[in-house]
Amino acid sequence: MKVPISWLKEYVDIDLPVEELAERLALTGTAVERISHVGLPAAGGNLDRFVVGRVVSIEPHPNADRLALCRVETGPETAQIVCGTRNFREGDRTAVCLPGGMLPDGRRLEAAEIRGVRSEGMMCSESELGLAAKSAGIMILPEDAPVGARLADYLPVSDEVLELEITPNRPDCLSVYGVAREVAAVTGARLKAAPVRDIKPRGDDNIEELVNISVSGPDLCPRYGARLIAGVRIGPSPAWLKARLIAAGLRPVNNVVDITNYVMWTLGEPMHAFDLAGIAGRQLTARSAVKGEEITTIDGVRRRLAPGMPVIADGEKPVAIAGIMGGRDSEVAAGSTDILLEAANFDGRSIMEASMALSLRSESSTRFEKGLDQELVLQALAMASRLITMIAGGRLVPGQYDIQAKPFEAGVIHLRPHRVAALLGAEVPAAEIRTILTKLGFKVKKEGAGLHAGVPSFRADVEREVDLVEEVARVFGLQLIPPSLPSGMRAMGGLSWEQACRRRLVQMLAGRGLNEVITYSFIGLDFADRLRLGESDIRRDAARLANPLSAEQSQMRTLMLPSLLMTVSANLAQRNFDVNIFEVGRVYYPVKGERLCDERETVAGCLCSFLQGQSWRGNTRGPDFFTGKGLVEALFKELAGSCSVRRTKEPFLHPGKAADIIVSGSRIGYVGEVHPLVLRAFDIDRPVVAFELFLGELIASSSEIAVFEDLINFPASFQDIAVVVDEDTPAAEIIAVVREAGAPLLHNVRVFDFFTGSQVGPGKKSIALNLEFRSPQRTLTDAEVDSARALIVRALDERLKASLRL
Amino acid sequence: MNVDLKEQLKQHSGLAAIYDEALADIAAAAAEVELGAARVRHLGRKSRLSRLLRAIPEMPASERPLAGKLGNQVRAALEEELVVRWQALESAELEKRLEQERVDITLPGEPLAGGRMHLITQTLWEIEDIFTGLGYRIAEGPEVETDYYNFTALNTPEGHPARSLHDTFFIKGKEGVLLRTHTSPVQVRVMEKEDPPVYVIIPGRVYRRDSDATHTPMFHQVEGLAVDEHITMADLKGTLESFAKAMFGAERQVRLRPHFFPFTEPSVEVDVSCMICGGKGCRSCKHSGWLEILGAGLVDPNVFGFVNYNPDEISGFAFGMGVERIAMLKHGVTDLRMFYDNDLRFIKQF
Ligand SMILES: [Zn+2]
Repeated sequence: MKVPISWLKEYVDIDLPVEELAERLALTGTAVERISHVGLPAAGGNLDRFVVGRVVSIEPHPNADRLALCRVETGPETAQIVCGTRNFREGDRTAVCLPGGMLPDGRRLEAAEIRGVRSEGMMCSESELGLAAKSAGIMILPEDAPVGARLADYLPVSDEVLELEITPNRPDCLSVYGVAREVAAVTGARLKAAPVRDIKPRGDDNIEELVNISVSGPDLCPRYGARLIAGVRIGPSPAWLKARLIAAGLRPVNNVVDITNYVMWTLGEPMHAFDLAGIAGRQLTARSAVKGEEITTIDGVRRRLAPGMPVIADGEKPVAIAGIMGGRDSEVAAGSTDILLEAANFDGRSIMEASMALSLRSESSTRFEKGLDQELVLQALAMASRLITMIAGGRLVPGQYDIQAKPFEAGVIHLRPHRVAALLGAEVPAAEIRTILTKLGFKVKKEGAGLHAGVPSFRADVEREVDLVEEVARVFGLQLIPPSLPSGMRAMGGLSWEQACRRRLVQMLAGRGLNEVITYSFIGLDFADRLRLGESDIRRDAARLANPLSAEQSQMRTLMLPSLLMTVSANLAQRNFDVNIFEVGRVYYPVKGERLCDERETVAGCLCSFLQGQSWRGNTRGPDFFTGKGLVEALFKELAGSCSVRRTKEPFLHPGKAADIIVSGSRIGYVGEVHPLVLRAFDIDRPVVAFELFLGELIASSSEIAVFEDLINFPASFQDIAVVVDEDTPAAEIIAVVREAGAPLLHNVRVFDFFTGSQVGPGKKSIALNLEFRSPQRTLTDAEVDSARALIVRALDERLKASLRL
Repeated sequence: MNVDLKEQLKQHSGLAAIYDEALADIAAAAAEVELGAARVRHLGRKSRLSRLLRAIPEMPASERPLAGKLGNQVRAALEEELVVRWQALESAELEKRLEQERVDITLPGEPLAGGRMHLITQTLWEIEDIFTGLGYRIAEGPEVETDYYNFTALNTPEGHPARSLHDTFFIKGKEGVLLRTHTSPVQVRVMEKEDPPVYVIIPGRVYRRDSDATHTPMFHQVEGLAVDEHITMADLKGTLESFAKAMFGAERQVRLRPHFFPFTEPSVEVDVSCMICGGKGCRSCKHSGWLEILGAGLVDPNVFGFVNYNPDEISGFAFGMGVERIAMLKHGVTDLRMFYDNDLRFIKQF
């Protein structure tokens, strides 16, 4: 909301510097986005260089046919000015820029010789003064303009503008007068009366004879007011009006339209002016649109209306989308003479929904959708009638329409002073509470220990005691509230076990050389095909967005992998080749019959470079399946949990170098090399190892408290064995047999060598194990260890046909 | 050198000569090889000393005790001297070898594995740590939410103008299901489950349908909620002041400006004195000396109504901050979108 200071000062007596005013407003709840300057620059006495002049004489320029040589009275002096246009006559008042004056566009005017004749100034056009985008000739001022006076004292040609951010609960401040009331309350300055003094109608006809207006559906339109002004002359607005509208960021159109906008900006009540000649059947109804209705709005767009949208219709068709935009057929334009003025109160929600459905927002709709004060209807009609008859002529036809379903009733709220202190933590004196509320327009009455506050019609947002407390607090000053901490704090803070575990995993992965990324939770529709997911893969069934920003962000991910592969790909494209990344985020599974998704916290990573940085001493091995598996095992080890693996069927992984991760019999994720076709689908030109694990299950597999085991007092015995088995016997099976046979003395089994080839013969492999035997109660004897080892060897032979290698 | 022995050897010129000569040879040995040769020459079987000692039985009886005693003393002294010299030579040679093994200590060290946490995570943890230190727990909740929790129970009924401020993503085919636009719905979920006192913060991802230089469709928020007997605006102010000082430096000031949020009343926006210019005014703070960091307020009684808390018995405050904004202010990041480009050159900086 742009509020020119000169306009504001019409309604409130303030002389604070604008920066101080802005600060005061900001600290009492009206955010000031910026203070801008419009029109002529004010610094350095520039405004003294622009005066009202009077053309004394016009003669031809001796050396140029198209130029005129004018003598212009600019006060005690008379200036000689060479002028290029001739749209004025002797005696006209004009706006004169004297040498040294700077125009809004930054040009500085100096006295100059023009075709051999000295010119000591310039007569300005409206566009040169910033009052119009384009103008045909110089600006002619009214007869009453005082010759020699500063132009700025006569016209608002230079102004400071407060650009305010008005919160949606305060539509009353979407008006200069509303802001003036707020300024008066927070600065203590005197508020002047609103400019709504009415005028007398003329004539012996009556609006009710000339046009028939009705409201069908008071839900859509709680109040509808209308007046008729006959015999106006449509033309451009006077300079002061144009200057004000431009300063407020509005575009001048013609005098009548400009006045309706001016009234809206002043009072906050949007108005509409119809050309009576464009209204079929001399009949208007406020109703909701019916199926199939259309309208061409004043912006020239043909719009289809949906049933339920509020419209104003004449005898045949909608002539305005109520509260949003008028129709072109009844638009006030050159030649209009009889004007039907509308000031109404439309239902905020209906306006908002229609405006959203039509994707059409206007200054009017943004006001109505917040819910406006019904009492503004008659005030706006009075102010507009006065201005139109004054500026555009014509007469106010006797009578008016004021159709209201239910008159306004002021609410009364009881305020207990102790509640103010209890909520704010600071005492506000009762007298001050009364003063603040009165200044804000509340009718305050003492009532026992507290008070009754009558809520003014323009503050429908105030409904409860706590709302009054807020009003008191913001005007009293939040800076006067002393800081404290909650006094009764009995709660215990900290992370939960799961939250602490999550942090440890993140730190562990970063410590192992992976960089954390945070990717969007959405993915594209094509992700399933790029990952080669089967037609019936449940992960194709993702939660889709009804209104995505793009196809690439159109559904909630069911796998982390696509987000990570895209990140790998983007980094490689940027020539960041050192890509090892991980993310902790969620995947989202829709659940049949449930509104919410099953959201699973997931840790996932992609490796495609050396975990240890490249050294001048030569490289370590690049990542492969076992690097990924080692990392997954490290994740479990970090939390003292454990997992097993199973060959995976994931279509996006290498069928031979990938595994499902199993915890207590159920699958909680995978690790493996990504399938080359998937890499190709993501434009990745090198191998990638990926893993993805459900965090909840990973953490649940862990043990919260580690229990002591005596590993110090009774030393272990170590034995190595190497066995040859069939090549397709999994190492895990060998270890399982060893563990079972070696129990209870076998404490640990470690694979320290593995090979296939000519040494062991075709179809065979050799695996060497280091066995750790120990007892927590005693030191084992050689005989005990030997017999345990013998049991292991026998079991391997019997169950796996494993032969001992010597 | 053994001074005592030297004195005694004045009685036996032959041994004295052997001793002096051997000492000179040992001292002159410049390497372990030479020292070995000196040993053979002076203490070996064929050395003069050995021969002399072997000849003792043939000596006159009167000379034997002295020769025997002095001879053995000379041998022992020389053995000792050899060891001393040996050690000296050995350590000199070691020093020489070590000297030759010197490396260019300015070459880079072994690049051990080590990655970085995303700046958002680092910032989140920092915020979490400040509030857990103040006695808060961390609550979490769903990102795919219902409009009841995201709006209605936060005093933003359907048709409320504040709903239009949120550009909300909706889920297809599920009426009233959306991506949460703030982490505030978890407030309601926590209060539904627990009785006061409640002190929680709620970090997490949130979503708004907006994408340009200053908006990403996903970002992070930390919401805070304190509900207890006698919670006041002053408590909110003190809590946020503690936070701002911990996050941005002990010299920071905090100011509250009244504002509007549907679920708090009174509502405030919170500014912290500009950490870039120290409050004097600069480009970052638009020359005001203040930077807006979060929104807050006392919990609206209507919200308590939705969770069956009695607003006459308890009160509370809530606040919400954008993690990206905090990180940008603290680390001088100028482009919000960089957080989600995940370019490793960016991530590794922090
Ligand atoms: Zn600053």
